[in-house]
Amino acid sequence: MWLPFVGLVIGLLLGFWTEFRIPEIYSNYLSIAVLAALDTLFGGIRAHLQNTFEEKVFVTGFFSNILLAAGLAFLGVHLGVDLYLAAIFAFGVRLFNNIAVIRRILLSKWTAKQDRQTEN
Amino acid sequence: MKDRMLIFAIVTTIIGFMIAVQFKTTNEPVVRDTRDILQLRQDLRIEKERQQELNQEIEKQLTLLNQLKQRDNIEGAMLDAINDLKERAGLTAVSGEGIILEIKPMYTDYGFIPQTVPAHLLRFLINELNIHNAQEIAIGNQRIISTSAIRDVNNVTHVNARRIPNLPLKVYVLANEAEKLHHEMIVSESVEYFAIENLSITSTPINFITLPEYEQPLRIRHLQPIKEES
Repeated sequence: MWLPFVGLVIGLLLGFWTEFRIPEIYSNYLSIAVLAALDTLFGGIRAHLQNTFEEKVFVTGFFSNILLAAGLAFLGVHLGVDLYLAAIFAFGVRLFNNIAVIRRILLSKWTAKQDRQTEN
Repeated sequence: MKDRMLIFAIVTTIIGFMIAVQFKTTNEPVVRDTRDILQLRQDLRIEKERQQELNQEIEKQLTLLNQLKQRDNIEGAMLDAINDLKERAGLTAVSGEGIILEIKPMYTDYGFIPQTVPAHLLRFLINELNIHNAQEIAIGNQRIISTSAIRDVNNVTHVNARRIPNLPLKVYVLANEAEKLHHEMIVSESVEYFAIENLSITSTPINFITLPEYEQPLRIRHLQPIKEES
């Protein structure tokens, strides 16, 4: 359970310690990629809680979502259409949906646990 | 189950890395150095000059320190330092070779005859004298120091908050190469500008002149020493 959090901390430390930076013009793409990654992560957590988790789907979804989002933003810049807004909208809505579902599942689990305790 | 957690861990690591990079990039964006070789050389030269100045300053201060350390002569060294500073500030009379510029009306028989030199012309003249390596300048008996102001008050030109005498006006200039300055002033732009206002400048080189000291109290307001960075 704690392994993902350790991973997050390791990733953050790695990012802060290494002097790795990207040019400012590409920071838009990276922010979209972060959004896509977060969306996939929360989708994965939801699937995990609903017992529909499939590793292959998750891993491929993670990378393809990131690439697709960044690619869409790139295409949008070159076409002069703000296509990154589409990515932000889609991922944002899905992110909120997923978080809401996760919250409900956790809440129902918690109340069930409480009920069991009161029965005992 | 364990595999699943491992995958999650890898994914969160990547996300963490991306967030950290994004955070760093937006906080301190990469500033590209777009100076070309000429600009770089220029900057280098400026920095070298600065270094040289600083070295000279250090050397001077060290000499002073050494003099102060020799206890028997401490008062003398301090007095020397004060006198040196006073001389540099223009609080002492100085003498040496230089030139005398006499400003007087060009034509007195017709037209407008000026009584005083306009402030902007005086400023122009002083700037030009400084361009041509004048050491010390005095207008009339007013010594020009670094805080001297040339102002126009009620149509009368004031230097150091004192009105300058009426024409003819004498400007005393101290220079290391008086002859050169004399020649430069003869053909200077000031002559033309003064001529527009019906004023003529005559330059006379002289072997020995004495410039008066700045006699008013030196009051510096709204100025503070700052600690220089880097």
